[in-house]
Amino acid sequence: MWTHFLRRLMLAIPVLFLVSVMVFSLIHLIPGDPGRTILGPEATPDAVRAFDHRLGLDRPLPEQYLRWLLRVLHGDLGNSLVDGTPVSLLIAQRLPATAELAVGALLLAMLLAIPAGILSATRQGGWGDAAGTFLSLAGLSLPQFWLGLLLILYFAVRLHWLPASGYVPFFQDPVQNLKTMLLPIVVTGLRETAVTMRMMRSSLLDVLDQDYVRTARAKGLPPGAVILRHATRNALIPVVTTSGLQLAGLLGGLVITETIFVIPGFGRLIVDSILNRDFVTLQGAVLVSAVLVIAVNFLVDLLYTVLDPRIQLARGARA
Amino acid sequence: MWRRLGRTGLVAVALAALLLAGCGGGSSSSSGNAGSSGGTGQQQSTGAGTASSQAGGTITIGINADPPNLDPAGSTALVDRYVQNSIFDKLYDVDANLKVVPVLAASLPEISADGKTYTIHLRQGIQFTDGTPFNADAVIYNLKRYMSPDSARHSELSFVSDVQKVDDYTVRIVLSKPFSPLLYTLTDRAGMMGSPAAIQKEGANFGQHPVGTGPFMFESRIKGDQIVLVRNPHYWQKGLPKADKVVWKVVTDDNVKVVNLKAGQLDIIDTVPAQSVGDLQSNSAFRVDIGPGLGFQGLYLNVQQPPFNNVYLRRAVDLAIDRAALVKVVFGQTADPGYGPFPAGTPAEAASGTPPAVDLAKVKQLLAQGGHPNGFTFTLKIATSPVNQQVAQVLKNMLAQAGITMNIQQEEFGTLLDDSTKHNFQASALGWSGRPDPDGNIYSWFYTGGSLNDSGYSNPKVDQLLDQARATSDMTQRVALYTQVMEIIHQDVPYVYLYFPKNVKAFTAQLKGFVNVPDGIIRTAQLGK
Repeated sequence: MWTHFLRRLMLAIPVLFLVSVMVFSLIHLIPGDPGRTILGPEATPDAVRAFDHRLGLDRPLPEQYLRWLLRVLHGDLGNSLVDGTPVSLLIAQRLPATAELAVGALLLAMLLAIPAGILSATRQGGWGDAAGTFLSLAGLSLPQFWLGLLLILYFAVRLHWLPASGYVPFFQDPVQNLKTMLLPIVVTGLRETAVTMRMMRSSLLDVLDQDYVRTARAKGLPPGAVILRHATRNALIPVVTTSGLQLAGLLGGLVITETIFVIPGFGRLIVDSILNRDFVTLQGAVLVSAVLVIAVNFLVDLLYTVLDPRIQLARGARA
Repeated sequence: MWRRLGRTGLVAVALAALLLAGCGGGSSSSSGNAGSSGGTGQQQSTGAGTASSQAGGTITIGINADPPNLDPAGSTALVDRYVQNSIFDKLYDVDANLKVVPVLAASLPEISADGKTYTIHLRQGIQFTDGTPFNADAVIYNLKRYMSPDSARHSELSFVSDVQKVDDYTVRIVLSKPFSPLLYTLTDRAGMMGSPAAIQKEGANFGQHPVGTGPFMFESRIKGDQIVLVRNPHYWQKGLPKADKVVWKVVTDDNVKVVNLKAGQLDIIDTVPAQSVGDLQSNSAFRVDIGPGLGFQGLYLNVQQPPFNNVYLRRAVDLAIDRAALVKVVFGQTADPGYGPFPAGTPAEAASGTPPAVDLAKVKQLLAQGGHPNGFTFTLKIATSPVNQQVAQVLKNMLAQAGITMNIQQEEFGTLLDDSTKHNFQASALGWSGRPDPDGNIYSWFYTGGSLNDSGYSNPKVDQLLDQARATSDMTQRVALYTQVMEIIHQDVPYVYLYFPKNVKAFTAQLKGFVNVPDGIIRTAQLGK
């Protein structure tokens, strides 16, 4: 267990290094100079040069990268090019909202998708299956901005049940927080439900075809026990894998939901820093999201062992 | 500094717009006085003067971007000025009719006969919100800071050679040569007074903890989300501010902003998409105020490269565009057709000229003169917003009727800005948010090597006229000079003027005291509920 953990950790280091090199190189390929973008078109070329010089942006790229890397190794993500705010503070302000949204959406998805997937798979070809497939297709196809605005118009503008925006951190005012997060979680969650449900359905159908399920049935176990205790558990493994990937994707990819519901989230931080050519903030944010992806994947690996004891992390073996 | 055709939210899509229009229309209740509820700036401002309600409360204002920098010395974005105007008083301000009025100055400046010294008397007994006294030393400290080369205000004050203390409440500004735009410059960021003690204490972080003498004090901010200001209890103007708190909420998408206004999360929004104006006007719970703006929109033509190094082709494009139809289709009431840099209601509006009628026969003739009797092809670069796309599509159709093929290339705003500055384009759609002084809307565009002369245009006669206008203090004479410049520009067409965006603000019917100032900045001292 511990050796596996350490091995994963060691593997994470080159991954993070590669991610940071890639982000750094890519960002310098985008046309547009941070000094010009931040100071605005009215700034004189001298002012732009002075700005770039003050922040070391006129140094050779490898030197800039190494300076940045050294600071990161000392635990300092640097300061935003726009106004000097520490990047770690920006991330700390923005990550909780997105994390809440992502985790909430995924919980909602699990809650809805797993039972729906089981029903759909066990009644394959029936009307329930057809309805489930139809709804999940609809969930995947509905554009989030459209669904989001529709829900706001109905629940906030017409019924006045929920606020249209106004995020407050959970620990500051839990009730208000849940009120404002409910619609965004539903909008994001419905889409994830669709993905998870389809995964659950096809995975369970695969498992139901296998020999040990037939054996269990032949032994005379009640159908419910066969499906829930024997089949579902194994069918969950690919579902957990995709959910992990979904969670990782959600952490950086909720820009649209964050924009519609005016949530100061991590996705918007990344997009804004690209638009502002705020290289330092972007590098920090991408590095943090890479760390999160690695962490989530590690958690998923741990979950495998719970679901299927044959998978043992200690030996790194996977059935 | 902000260009209007700039970046907008990711989500503003036509479908959403249709949806909003549809649903909103259904929910509106009264329509009796629909037409008049639009209101005018004048109507609102008379209401503000009466100071009828002493209400307090919190005013939440939706703005379209996160202010990058609240320090007036470093600020370059229009949204910065929204918030700064509540924290910092300025030496002067402009009123709803663009008249200059003294604020921290006691009166308009005494300008010497040669136009090179401005003597400014200051109001007495005012303190910054950190207790520092406001006096001549404070003014000199701020102006010198703005004049330093690493300040974004440096170019605005480049003709100021010295700032002198006459006595504790009198300051003299000495210019190296006459520069008539100076007075209007002091109504903007270069006239904002920050506490010298706080600036010294915070240094480069002053933008994160700004301190002025204004009606509100900075309380807190979450980057990308909101800025909270609280009432300055010792504000020097009696009875102001009316509200206890002002919250600036960043809402990047226009449609989302309208929805939040309707749901009660916002009290006032800084821009209103054209398709929502009618809907909000017909709803008695809201007011829409449409006032004149200061800016213009149009297309740079690159005069250094084919095809637009050919003046006949530039004129052909200019003459093939029906500005009235463009405005009618895309903007409705929220813009006016434009044919120059000075919108109606600004001091030099007469110099702009009236848009010409489309004359396809004349266009044909110009194309022939330019050596392309069967038309030609060019590429227009635009920023990625739905409004830009609509404008470009309408233009494409208009030009196609004249035999000119226009390809549209969308670019992210920062890239477009970069390409434009580096003259890497044939035509580029970038406009200007505008300045109250005419100089700020024309000089840098057409002066040889000017900072906004992306067309690469150069004409010694134009340079001379622009310099002469800067040195002339009488506005009538300046307008005559600008008229001459515009006559040349309409012949040379380095820039195709299209339309003047108006200032459209929407707010709840409970909100009192709103005045629509043409610079688009919401003055918060008078606002109350």
